[in-house]
Formats: sequence, structure tokens, C-alpha cells
Amino acid sequence: MNGLGRTWCWIASPKHYIGLFLVLLLLAFPLVVTSSFYIQIMIMVLFFAYLSSCWNIISGYAGQLSIGQAVFLMVGAYTSSLLFSNLGLSPWIGMLIGGLLAVVLGLLIGYPTFRLRGAYFAIATIVWAEGLRKIVENTEYIGGLKIGGAEGLTIPLIHHSLANYQFVNKTYYYYIMLGLMLLIIYLTYRIDRSKLGYYLSAVREDEDAARALGVDVRKYKLMAMAISAFFTALAGTFYAQLLLYIEPVDIGGIALSIEMLLIGVIGGRGTIIGPIVGAFLLVPCKELVRTYTGTTYIGAHLVFYGAIMVAVILFFPQGLERPFRRCYLGLARWLGQTERAEDEGR
Amino acid sequence: MAILKIENLTKRFGGLTAIKAFDLEIEQGQIVGLIGPNGAGKTTLFNAITGVYPCEDGEIVFSGQSLKRIKPHLACELGIGRTFQVAKPFGGSTVLYNVMVGSFCRVNDRRKAERKASEVLEFVGLWPKRNTLGKSLTIADRKRLEVARALATEPQLLLLDEVMAGLNPKETEEAIALVREISRKGITLLIIEHVMQVIMSLSDKIAVIHHGEKIAEGVPAEVAQDEKVIKAYLGDEYVFSSSEGN
Repeated sequence: MNGLGRTWCWIASPKHYIGLFLVLLLLAFPLVVTSSFYIQIMIMVLFFAYLSSCWNIISGYAGQLSIGQAVFLMVGAYTSSLLFSNLGLSPWIGMLIGGLLAVVLGLLIGYPTFRLRGAYFAIATIVWAEGLRKIVENTEYIGGLKIGGAEGLTIPLIHHSLANYQFVNKTYYYYIMLGLMLLIIYLTYRIDRSKLGYYLSAVREDEDAARALGVDVRKYKLMAMAISAFFTALAGTFYAQLLLYIEPVDIGGIALSIEMLLIGVIGGRGTIIGPIVGAFLLVPCKELVRTYTGTTYIGAHLVFYGAIMVAVILFFPQGLERPFRRCYLGLARWLGQTERAEDEGR
Repeated sequence: MAILKIENLTKRFGGLTAIKAFDLEIEQGQIVGLIGPNGAGKTTLFNAITGVYPCEDGEIVFSGQSLKRIKPHLACELGIGRTFQVAKPFGGSTVLYNVMVGSFCRVNDRRKAERKASEVLEFVGLWPKRNTLGKSLTIADRKRLEVARALATEPQLLLLDEVMAGLNPKETEEAIALVREISRKGITLLIIEHVMQVIMSLSDKIAVIHHGEKIAEGVPAEVAQDEKVIKAYLGDEYVFSSSEGN
């Protein structure tokens, strides 16, 4: 069979074309919905789906509960923004440098703390993240470099151009984030199917047994940390360019780290699509709750998160990925059957 | 040629000497039994060989290579497989997944790992349960899975820590047959076991450890007659009264 034929066969299976259809829906969303309010909500959905997927690699697959992911976001955002406003370096390049710095930081955090297990590791990540945020918050200048302290940093608006990562219309940001999210899904899929994925699961389930089977536990934890840190930092640059303003408490605070974790846990940790399912359910609800109760009850969305969390733990302790997958496969089977019935009818 | 040579090995935990000046040589292809009362240091010896604990004194040489400062995952790469006394399956994963983690020790490709794991599952008789989750297995199958995972790493030397404890007579018999099969493949075995008939019938050689010291070594029949061994297991009075009876 030639390449085209094989591609067609792949698409013709309901299991694949439902997925493709969902991606097409996402691609078409800004063409149909033009209200920038809804596009903004969707950008946040994709943003959190992405971040939670990054968290999922270290905390879902490798099982090392990180509650300090926001620190990588902060590193990414500050690195690219400072390089852009001081040296005029394109945020696209700054983004990669920020990613690499986040990897270095991730390894620095991971190397000593991966000896700790369970809650102790989680506490260590909080301490690191909060400590660094406090430092940034209380530092106005490093040498001659203005980093803005608690007031934050404004990114100069130059003009609409791809190289500047600045656009007149939110739709551009939507597509960038969609691309990033699809990238992380693909990456997670590849990890899930590879030696790395098997080893990370083994580490999560039983470190001693994994070691006896030849798994270099520390090395694989560090690899998971590096991947997670790098991609989290990329989202930092995105966030900075989207808002053109960053402040430590907003981008490096524990609230954001906890949000990534909640979405991941509610969606289903250690699964490819869990964090995506979590984000698509929780973030729109959160944004709507916030819009309608925002000024009167600040933090109402967190109460809402808590309520959903309790419900999910009671009814779907493995996360919402399970029921989602069941529906998805059920639909695929049903479509497959109807197709066959139509073929036979002809 | 000795595949594993332990010389004058000593391991202390603070003031407690868990293993004291221990010597043992295992020839290629042998089945060696390691017995001793509870707390004698059998599992500690396994942990010392596989690099879980560093040892203060002495030397362990495996196929000409020192294991003294080795890390557990490197011991596995060198060709030493082990099972745990309390089985540690990856509970949330299927049997096949469990064994594939082991086979990834030698290959990087998922399909090759799956093929290797399937062969091993066929060999140990767990193939029909390949899709069962690790945590839903019976004790006998958990022990079998421990062995399968270790075998998937393609060891030259396999350390079995009480794989027959808690099995019923029929399961024990199957387990003995499996150990014989493994040995027939050319894998050298060091076995900890409490069931005496099993260890007596399987082993080419038995070493007895008591309070961290080797008190006897030899072919099964010899060891069973050894006064020190009887003493260690049954206490002084037993030896006294039995000699009186003669």
C-alpha cells in the first residue's frame, strides 16, 4: 500500500477521525467565535492544558509531586522579557534560553531533593519556588539590570510582528498556544510509548523494584524534571507576550502551581490526555464563575475547584480521563458499527 | 571458574554486625542454597551483592568485576537479577508492562521489549495473565512475576529471595520445576529458602548463615548432619538430647 493509502486507512478508523475532528474544531474555533472574551477564555484553557501536561510528566508519570512548577514559568517569562527589552532579542530565541535556564534550575532543585520521597519532595519544591519568587519580588535591580521587584516588568510594545511575538489580534496567540498544546500531547504520547515512559512508571510505583531491574532512578527522575521544566518555561514567555506585563506573584506564585496540580489530578495523572480533559472542564467554569462573582466574592472559583475535586475523588478516583476515554471509545465503536452496517446494506 | 566470589565480607549497621567475614564461591551453572534462621543476614547478603548496601570490609567479585561500590541498577546491567522477599509488583500496571520494564534493560525499542517480555511470560507460565494488573495477582503469581521480571533483564546470576514462601504444596512443586528450568538455561542461581525439602532437593551446595557468620557449607546431605546447623535451628538442647539418645 502506498503512503497516501495508508494515511487514508489511518484516518478512516473512527478512533482517529474523532480525534482529528476535535482538533479541527479547535482550529476552527476563532473563525466561528470572534468575541475576544471567549477567545481569551479558550487561550487560558489551552494554556492550562499545556502547563498541566508539563506538570504531568514529572508528577504524573514519574510520580514526584511538584507544587513549585510556577517557578519555571517565572524563569521563562523573565528571561525572554529581559532579553527582549534590554537587548532586543526576539522572544522566540529568548524563550529557548529561558527553557534551558529552567532546565538548569530544575536539575538544581532535583539533584538534592530527589533523595526525598513523597511529601518531603513536594515540600521542597514549594520552598524552592516560593523562595525564588520572594527573591525576585524584593529585587529591583541586578547590577544595572532592572527586574522591577514586586511591581513587575512591562514588556515594551513594539509592533505587530511574528519576530516580536506581538500581535494585534488575540487569535494569533490562540493558535500559538494551540500549537504548543498539540506539541506537548504528542510528546507525552511518545514518552508514554517509550522506554522512558515505562521507566518513569516503574519509578513511580516502586523505586527499589525499579532499581533492581536496572533503572537508574535518579537519572530518569532528573530527565522527567528537565523535560517538564523546559516546556513549562516556554509557556512563561507566551504569558509575558500575551499580557506584556509580568509580576512575580501572578506568574511565580503558589496559586498557579496548585492550579496546574488540581487540573492534572482531576483530569487524571499519568495519562496522556488527562490534564487536557481537566483543563477543558475546569478552566471555562472557573473563568465564568470568576466573571460573574469576580468582584463580590474573590476566590469563589477556588471553592468551586474544591467542590469538583471532592466529587471527582468520590466518583472517579483515577481522574476524569477514564470516563472520557470510555465515552470516546464507545463512540468510536458505535461509528465503526454503523459504517459496517451501511457497507453491508449497499 | 567461579562466577561469584565473596571474600571476607563484613556489613555493619551501627553497632550491629549483620554479616561477619563471610566467604562464598559460586561456580557457573550451580544452584546454591542459602539457609539460616530468621535475622541471620541472608537478605542482607543479597542486598550487599546487588549494591543496595555498601560494605565496610571484604570483596565481592562477579565475573572478574568488583561489586564493592556498585549501584543496584548497574549490578542488574552487569547480569545480576534478583527478586524481593516481599514481592514488589508495579501494582497499577499489567503483568506484561511489569516484565517489559525488565526487558528494557537490554533493548531500547518497545516492540523488541514486548517480544522479549512475551517470551519470558510464556516461559514462566504467566502468559494467560499478561493483562492482569500486578496488584490483583495471587501470592504465587506475584512471586512468579518477580522471577519473570528478573529473567527479562537477562541475568547470568539470579538471586531468589524466598520465592516459595507462602505457596501451597502444588504451587511449590511448580515453582521447583521452574527453578530447574531456569537452571537448565545456564543461569546460575543463589536461593534463599526456608522450606527444607525444597532446598535439599534443588541445591548443588548449601551455605548456612547464623548471626551473620557462615557456620557450614557443603552438599545438602553433609549440611543436614552438621551439628552446628542443627544447633542453630533447634537450639542446644536438641543436639544434647540427640547425642544422649545415641
